[in-house]
Amino acid sequence: MDTQWPRWEVFKQDTPHKPHQAVGSVHAVDPEHALLTARNVFARRPQAVSLWVARAEDVYAWTQEEILEGLATARADAGLGTACRYLVFRKTSHKRSMTFVDHVGEVEATSPEEALQQAQARFSDTTALAWWIVPADKVYQSDPSPETVESWFAPARDKTYKQQQYYATVGSHISKHKRGRGVEDEE
Amino acid sequence: MRSEVREALIAKLTALADDEVILAHRNSEWVGHGPILEEDIALANIVQDELGHATLWYGLRQQLDGSDPDQLAFFRDANEYRCCELVELPKGDWAFTMLRQYLFDLYEALWLEAARHSTYQPLADAVQKIIREERFHLQHTQAWVERLGQGTEESNRRLQQALEMQWSYAQQLFVPIPGEELLVAEGIVPDLAPIKERWLEHSTRHLQAAGLKLPINPGYQPTSRAYHTEHLWSLLAEMQSTARWDAEAKVW
Amino acid sequence: MPIKYGVPSDPDYNERLREFEARIARGEKIEPGDWMPEEYRRQLIRMISQHAHSEVVGMLPEGAWITRAPTLKRKMILVAKVQDEAGHGQYLYHAAETLGISREAMLEALLSGKAKYSSIFNYPTLTWADIGTIGWLVDGAAIKNQTMLAACSYGPYSRAMVRICAEETFHHKQGKEMVLLYAKGTPKQRQMAQDAINRWWWPALMMMGPHDKDSPNTEILVRWGIKTKTNDQVRQEFINEHAPEILEAGLTIPDPELRYDEATGNWIHGPINWDEFWQVVGGNGPMNKERLEARRRAHAEGAWVREALEAYAAKKQKTAVAV
Ligand SMILES: [Fe+2]
Ligand SMILES: [Fe+2]
Ligand SMILES: [Fe+2]
Repeated sequence: MDTQWPRWEVFKQDTPHKPHQAVGSVHAVDPEHALLTARNVFARRPQAVSLWVARAEDVYAWTQEEILEGLATARADAGLGTACRYLVFRKTSHKRSMTFVDHVGEVEATSPEEALQQAQARFSDTTALAWWIVPADKVYQSDPSPETVESWFAPARDKTYKQQQYYATVGSHISKHKRGRGVEDEE
Repeated sequence: MRSEVREALIAKLTALADDEVILAHRNSEWVGHGPILEEDIALANIVQDELGHATLWYGLRQQLDGSDPDQLAFFRDANEYRCCELVELPKGDWAFTMLRQYLFDLYEALWLEAARHSTYQPLADAVQKIIREERFHLQHTQAWVERLGQGTEESNRRLQQALEMQWSYAQQLFVPIPGEELLVAEGIVPDLAPIKERWLEHSTRHLQAAGLKLPINPGYQPTSRAYHTEHLWSLLAEMQSTARWDAEAKVW
Repeated sequence: MPIKYGVPSDPDYNERLREFEARIARGEKIEPGDWMPEEYRRQLIRMISQHAHSEVVGMLPEGAWITRAPTLKRKMILVAKVQDEAGHGQYLYHAAETLGISREAMLEALLSGKAKYSSIFNYPTLTWADIGTIGWLVDGAAIKNQTMLAACSYGPYSRAMVRICAEETFHHKQGKEMVLLYAKGTPKQRQMAQDAINRWWWPALMMMGPHDKDSPNTEILVRWGIKTKTNDQVRQEFINEHAPEILEAGLTIPDPELRYDEATGNWIHGPINWDEFWQVVGGNGPMNKERLEARRRAHAEGAWVREALEAYAAKKQKTAVAV
């Protein structure tokens, strides 16, 4: 049977002080491969300084609608096990955007559902439209060393030929031909 | 710069650029036909980078003799090209392509590392730019060699087969061009001998760790860049077909 | 996670449908996990996967010219563009996957010939000027559609479209730049550009799909905020932008009836050959068989590669640096 390899969610950080944001996913076989692939897919153009990847199946997601319906607690088989760290991502706007949820912080909990409850209490400054909770040890990051950051993310800035501004001279202009087919405007 | 040194530098820059152009061309044949969408994107990335490197090298030559990069790429015949034979070989299967790119990336990364302190400032500057991308390429192709080598029996066999074919061709990367010793003496380009040693050490270690069998019986080892495989002619015939289609065309 | 797709036989269907439509009316995005009518999901999977297939098959006609690009810069640009199309396919498969369909299933539908993709890619690229013309007209037509879809009600599709539109603008401009250059170039270049416009103009107009009256899905798609404009509206926008620019470049458009209508500000086009359109949709375009065959071959020849990496991953517990 064919497979397209497992799916990994990708989080991209644009500049050092911005949060990592969910940008989409890639299919890859292991964390290193997923990170390399994510770099090729999501950092073809500026900007990026860091990438995180996590297996799609390790991401616990709830929308506001699901939470209102009590689905987040209904699924809690929690309370067992030891506490571990969870990264928390949140969506707060319906505006047009290229990204989904943003990283807001982390919590310690014994289950994803408990982590969600803590996240709701802790990050309550604004309405959350969706939450993603990911165990911290299931998230893999690109090497943060300056050398790697330079190697992975800086060259995209020089590839101006794939940016539309490079072709500024061919912007749309008001036509002289509104009057009819092939007829030159005398004005 | 003395004129013999200048001539040698022009020849070296041409060889560097020609390798990149032809290798990029071979890899570009994959675009749209890769084994999975993500890898189409990845290989297209390498292709763009290598074309960028070629442009930089030709650009340095242009500063020396005013030659136009596109004229060099699209209006020279096969016998005027100075690429190595490794890059001319048909793209083969995915193992062949990944292995060639790995062997080449490793050479390029090591060469660039050694060329960072070139006494010729324009070359040192170009190296700074290129080296960033080559570090990433190498990570990528290294990962592929490891995965194919340790994947299935079939992938290991295909990779081994590619290695048997490419190993001796790859040695040509370390054959100095005529006059290169002048450039080395002036500190303009690094001596290839120690780079070859490092390359042999790194590649042997990595390939063996990936489950490949080395050493390979040395077979034919190309030495002169004035000599080519029988593939280059038709590769160029295709590559140059549009550029040469309209003799009057000044710009494309 | 349990995904809830409502069907009309559900007891609370009508009530939930009202809430759902109210959310769309308020401009809210529907996200994976939210309640949605099964028909909304079905339409989205159909549209998004077709769209993804179009991007992937769309790599082929242009990809064929990468090895013949006339300058190093044009070659880089074309590789970057075709790479973007692969990326778009990738973003779109992702968007469809959020609806609970796997990429394997979508690819299987494409390769078996069941799934559709944009018919435009079943025409051949005969000269280098086709590359410029595709960027200008075909990507130009696609942008019109995609700009509309960027506002669509399903979050993942909308986000994919915002990302894609940003990249498509580059495709459009590099193509236009090229055609404008050749239109002012040597006689051979001019001729080549005109010939390409002649061949691509009508297929580009067909890209928006049949007239509204022959487009059975449009009504529900508009109602649920998947589409916000009809096919004819989008087509008109495309013509209004591109017709004057082509003429301004000194090229002609292969439509003797094309005229500018003062009253509406629209460029009115002559009749579209829908027989040709349905022929190509039905699999009888010049390149249908070849395109599909190329995809099948790449997929089949890649099988051992995909298996190898899976086998590797199964053997290894590779450790990367955890955050
Ligand atoms: Fe390079
Ligand atoms: Fe696209
Ligand atoms: Fe495009």
